[in-house]
Amino acid sequence: MAEQATAESVERRVVLDLDRCIECKSCMAACYYGHGRMAGVEFVDIGPAVLPIVCRQCGDPACVEVCPAGAMLRDERGVVARGIFSCRGCGSCARACPFGVLSLEMVGHQIAKCDLCEDRVERGLDPRCVAVCPTGALRFATVEEIEADGLTVLGGRVAGDHPIRRR
Amino acid sequence: MSSDGSTQTAEATGARCLLCSIGCPVRATGAGPDHYIPDYVPRAGYVGLCGRGSVLVELVDHPERLLEVRRGEEALATAEAAARIADALRGGSSSAIILDGNTDIDTVATVGRFAADVGARWTLYLPPGDAGLVHGLDTSESYFIGPEKLAEADAMLVIGNVFATHPVVSHWVFEARSARRQMPLLLVGDPATATAKFATAVYQPTLAAGAAARAVAAIRTGETTGLADGAILAGWKDVLASAKKPAIVVGAEMGYADARALGAEVAALAPEVRATVCPLTAYGAAWGALRAGAAAGGMCPMELFSNPPDVLCVIGADLESAWGASAMAAVSGADLLYVGPMPNRLIARASLVAPAAFAFETAGRALLGPDRLIRFEPLMAPPAGVPTVREILRMAGAPADAKGDVSAPCSGPEMPAAGEAEPGEGICLAPAADPIHFDDGSLTGRASWPQSVRARPVLLMAQSDAEAAGVGDAQTAIIEGPGGSATADVVVSEAHRAGQARVSAAFAEVRDVFGWTWDGAKPGTPVCVTVRKAQ
Repeated sequence: MAEQATAESVERRVVLDLDRCIECKSCMAACYYGHGRMAGVEFVDIGPAVLPIVCRQCGDPACVEVCPAGAMLRDERGVVARGIFSCRGCGSCARACPFGVLSLEMVGHQIAKCDLCEDRVERGLDPRCVAVCPTGALRFATVEEIEADGLTVLGGRVAGDHPIRRR
Repeated sequence: MSSDGSTQTAEATGARCLLCSIGCPVRATGAGPDHYIPDYVPRAGYVGLCGRGSVLVELVDHPERLLEVRRGEEALATAEAAARIADALRGGSSSAIILDGNTDIDTVATVGRFAADVGARWTLYLPPGDAGLVHGLDTSESYFIGPEKLAEADAMLVIGNVFATHPVVSHWVFEARSARRQMPLLLVGDPATATAKFATAVYQPTLAAGAAARAVAAIRTGETTGLADGAILAGWKDVLASAKKPAIVVGAEMGYADARALGAEVAALAPEVRATVCPLTAYGAAWGALRAGAAAGGMCPMELFSNPPDVLCVIGADLESAWGASAMAAVSGADLLYVGPMPNRLIARASLVAPAAFAFETAGRALLGPDRLIRFEPLMAPPAGVPTVREILRMAGAPADAKGDVSAPCSGPEMPAAGEAEPGEGICLAPAADPIHFDDGSLTGRASWPQSVRARPVLLMAQSDAEAAGVGDAQTAIIEGPGGSATADVVVSEAHRAGQARVSAAFAEVRDVFGWTWDGAKPGTPVCVTVRKAQ
């Protein structure tokens, strides 16, 4: 029997270099058109800047826990993904996500969810948001690769430990 | 060089995005019936494809696309429509053609030859800022570079919010900064922009028309009298002059006269500091269209509107979105014939509507900037066998061998000097660069992604102005100006000067607020408006 995939199975993640984002939203457009016109990339206004946020691939994902249809699941790659045929569009996951990266797509009655561009990554390509980023602000890399470049990874521990729960 | 410019090196490539002068390689891959996924083409030095480039694939199979020739309720064959267009233009006492200028140079030449054959006057629609900038720079002695050469710069003067209008250019700016960590990046533009976030020094011009050009002049001459906060510019010339490879990056957001003056000032500054110039236009094909148009006998739009035609064939352009309601008033008495890919506000008044391919669905040549002649391939085949503009014109009798001549630099007509905002009650409002929508929004405004991200224009204003108007950040406001009103989402920023606000102009109703007319000066000129909270 195959070993159960975990968050640790996801070696490379989408990380954002805060010093390079120009808020052009190219990542969002590429994701939107590559995923049936639903964007898995959201933008958040943090005051000094408007930054893209993508799924952190939590170790103990609240979206999976609350999904009444079992549509949110960790797939064989370890990626927290959405089963498109099971999703009822109830929005439970969007409300449960502590980082606000899931949005309720009312038109399709489905939740836009980053799947780390499975169709591209399995061919050795970067996810779409990373591939189109004109500044190199978005990278698809391991924590070790980022730190080897002298950069500090913020939020990695938060994603792994899932300290935020909503009642 | 031959007269048609064909000895210029034309780089053979695949499909290119022509939504700005970067000209990114782009491709589309099928993903089920009538659905395509955009992708950029990895190519030496290039990376990424901005959100506007991704929109191209949606336009190809857009549900509103024009697919059938209509004459009122009657359906026609394309050949019959082409013949009727030719007959109508020949039969008019004052016939004219207006061609959207974001097209390949051979189509421009074909229109010029066709217009001569049928005895029609003709002109190009280009964003006034683009036309002014090209005309201000093209006949200068400046040494021009493409954006990829910016990576070699060791000091930059950037004019305008170019990271919003040309996101991909930021790639080479960051490359330059990666190689030279202390590289000065001097910005003439608003501080509340993504471009300013990365600048080492920012000079904020006032919203008065021509303020950016005056700032560039002050950098060159050191004369800052009468320039608000002009002392900030002291030493900027020395910074550029002391660099080994300084570069000036310039894009124009304002109207023709402003942009032309800005181009002229950049052309004067560049040789004094030994800087190369990287001009950026909103229409990717603007440079080539203007040169080819000048060579093929095109006239200034102002000249055309001053003597309104009685038969007008519009190819691709949306006059009302582009030049405002006044342009439509000027041609209200004309028999209107429309040829283009998408419906717009014109077609309700057109006696004949003929579908045509987008420029990016054809093969052709475009001049993205001086010495940047490219040959591009179609992104996709147009649906339902929709013909190209050149094919329609050939059916109408235009020659098949017309070649655009882009060998000679061109200078446009002198225009009335841009004015100040008319004194009045309220806030001074000017247009802002928009990273989501494109230019007048007639293309991207119909696509679903820009609509889902930003369905309404954004009004950037100071805290004190917002409080006075009774609106807060993220609330919806109504702007009332001399030409109309528009609903906008408010963004409050401390970086804005009190009494001055900017609004994204890529919406037809916003252009109506300004009440611009095509007289050379007015497009881009600020106006005084009142703002109130939407109920």
